[in-house]
Amino acid sequence: MIYSVYARIGFICGALAVAGCAFDVMHLKQSPAQYEAVTATNQIWVLQDDLKVSIASGWATPLKKGTTWRQVGRIKEGDVIRTRDQIVTVEASNIFEANPVIDHEKVVGFFLVVENSFTPADPPAPINLLLKKPIEGGTS
Amino acid sequence: MNIPKRIANLAAFCVLCLMLAACAGGPRFSEMSGNIPNLGADNGRIYIYRTTVLGAAIQPDVRVNGVVVGSAAPQGFFYVDRPPGNYKISTSTEVDRDLSLTLESGQTRYVRLGISMGFFVGHVYPELVDDAEGKQDISTLHYTGK
Repeated sequence: MIYSVYARIGFICGALAVAGCAFDVMHLKQSPAQYEAVTATNQIWVLQDDLKVSIASGWATPLKKGTTWRQVGRIKEGDVIRTRDQIVTVEASNIFEANPVIDHEKVVGFFLVVENSFTPADPPAPINLLLKKPIEGGTS
Repeated sequence: MNIPKRIANLAAFCVLCLMLAACAGGPRFSEMSGNIPNLGADNGRIYIYRTTVLGAAIQPDVRVNGVVVGSAAPQGFFYVDRPPGNYKISTSTEVDRDLSLTLESGQTRYVRLGISMGFFVGHVYPELVDDAEGKQDISTLHYTGK
């Protein structure tokens, strides 16, 4: 009986220890990216629906309906777009400022700006962007 | 009043005193915002702040690219001006927590220090927030910069 109590306490402590370790094991899956900036265009796109993009290890990143986006660069996985209307970060154990990467009307992942790397979406998320009326003389 | 109840009340009072003592005590942002220098033409500004008093005893150093710039005082804020570039904001308790961000010339960014559950102690983590939310958050906080 006493042994059983000790076993239970040991199991609980073990589970807590494992849970404690889990706080620091959500490492983001990243691969180096060859980022190529693109010349600013006057094309601005508006996100038509709220969207949550999941990644393999970490929390989903929300993209808000009504935010405006423009292409700022390109990597081999797709076009890199950016907004000034909301903060975009990718979060695992640490948090990284990021820009979505679009390919064939899907968010296929994120370009981590400081790390110069790519983390894939899991699964890629269809995105509904509508071209806004072009602004005269380029973009901000 | 029975003795256990008195002890419980005393303990609650002590906890409250400790929490208040642990909070930041400088002037509020609203009182000193006029004295904050304008941002230099070649710099950006990062406000770093903590709204919550949860885990008030845990006040780790806050580092920007490895250099200590302040501490995570509950209900406190401070700011650093830096040239445009890439920055890593870090805190360290039983684990390290990093936030990487870019800073442009003339840009102001807001970094909130949240607290999450840890194994032995809570974890203080930096997160990037929208400008509007950041401005709102710091309006009632106390300055803890030097």
